[in-house]
Amino acid sequence: MVVIGGGVIGTSVAYQLAKTKRKVMLIEKGEIGGQTSGSCDKAIFLQSKQPGLPIQMAKASMRLYENLEDELGMSIEFKKNGGMIVIESDTHMDAMAKFVKERKKAGMDVKLLDRNETLAWQPGLSSHIAGAAFSKEDAEVNPLRLSQAFAQAAKRYGAVVRTHTEVTDIICADGKVTGVQTTDGKIAAETVVNAAGPFASQIAEMTGIGLTIMPRRGAILITEKIEPFIHGNILCSQYIAAKHAASGDGDIPPYGIGLSLGQTERGNLLIGASREFKGYDKAVGPDVLSAIASHATRIAPALNNVNIIRTMVGFRPFTGDGLPIIDKAKAVEGFITAAGHEGDGIALAPITGHLVISLLEDEEHYKDWLKRLRLERMHEV
Amino acid sequence: MDKRTEICRCEEVKLGEILNAINNGAKTSKALKLATRAGMGICQGRTCQPVLEQIISYYTNQNIQETPGLSTNHPVRPLSLEELAGNRKDL
Repeated sequence: MVVIGGGVIGTSVAYQLAKTKRKVMLIEKGEIGGQTSGSCDKAIFLQSKQPGLPIQMAKASMRLYENLEDELGMSIEFKKNGGMIVIESDTHMDAMAKFVKERKKAGMDVKLLDRNETLAWQPGLSSHIAGAAFSKEDAEVNPLRLSQAFAQAAKRYGAVVRTHTEVTDIICADGKVTGVQTTDGKIAAETVVNAAGPFASQIAEMTGIGLTIMPRRGAILITEKIEPFIHGNILCSQYIAAKHAASGDGDIPPYGIGLSLGQTERGNLLIGASREFKGYDKAVGPDVLSAIASHATRIAPALNNVNIIRTMVGFRPFTGDGLPIIDKAKAVEGFITAAGHEGDGIALAPITGHLVISLLEDEEHYKDWLKRLRLERMHEV
Repeated sequence: MDKRTEICRCEEVKLGEILNAINNGAKTSKALKLATRAGMGICQGRTCQPVLEQIISYYTNQNIQETPGLSTNHPVRPLSLEELAGNRKDL
């Protein structure tokens, strides 16, 4: 079997395939975790997901995270530090009260905090903050270590990992996959899993299957190391609006900006983020970066004197309905899609590996979920 | 140099960690950065990158690449959030 893509999704899938005694080769055109999974924030937010399937999948994934470090035999810096969605103005309080109520109904531990409670938990925030939604179930992980850990564990189960190898064609005969052509030779395989994230459409095209996953660009500022500044991870209510706004919705803030704030174990702050459709253009202009900085310092003025040492830009794989595609292609036997997680790839990486196994083995367990993650739903809209 | 020699001073990455990463398949300075944090600190690899390239070349029998393996990105020098934000009031 061949897995295309060495991000958190591809490595998680390769790990599960190898663990269930399948012969696996993971093919990555660059480095493990070098694209989307290396340019994202570190939060595993549950409360930011929509009630229903997105929250159910995120919860199932979180249960897998609980034992993942032991299972993979490497620190992934997983911590259940809680997460907060900061509400800047009183006018957003009603909408966020509804947001909290919906999530409580979905079985989540979320509560609405007032200004004083919010500032007591996060003293670095501005005193103009109206309040926050807080959940102690939200967690964080180091995404760089996550993809490395999955890849190394997959190798221990016998998987072969080939980096700097690009897939140039999928070879099919009689409607079945027979192998992949790469920049480093041909590889025979009866099953190919497309886990190429924002590049998954290009891979699907090689088989003639139409897959509309669009790259949704995001930029993040990285600061110098500072003393612990925040507790857990922070988003703002504008981030939620930007995340869930349908394209064409009038409510999207300029550059799709909403705050995401996290701090690495070493002390660097990751300050995001923007959300734009700009193809695969990585050249983010100073206007976008300045807008992210301006938004962040308004919410946390203490950041004003902190230095930015780098910015990073990546592409989220956007499907349009907030759910990934995990499905077997009807027209090409053996071609499986596991992509399109947009901004939820880190949260959903562990469960995605299990879902692919379930799909391959035709198990009953996740059938209802997989039905809703089918490729065909894209054409029914 | 021995295994305790510090290669990346900003992130305090030692030669031993670099060699482990090479044994685990890293072949470029970007792969080393992702695996060990070498080059991720305040100097953004300005100090350690040439050493990383030489270590890779020595242990993997590759020529040193013409183009640097670590990408540069904004900002060119550290810049405070206040300076980056400017005084924009629109967001």
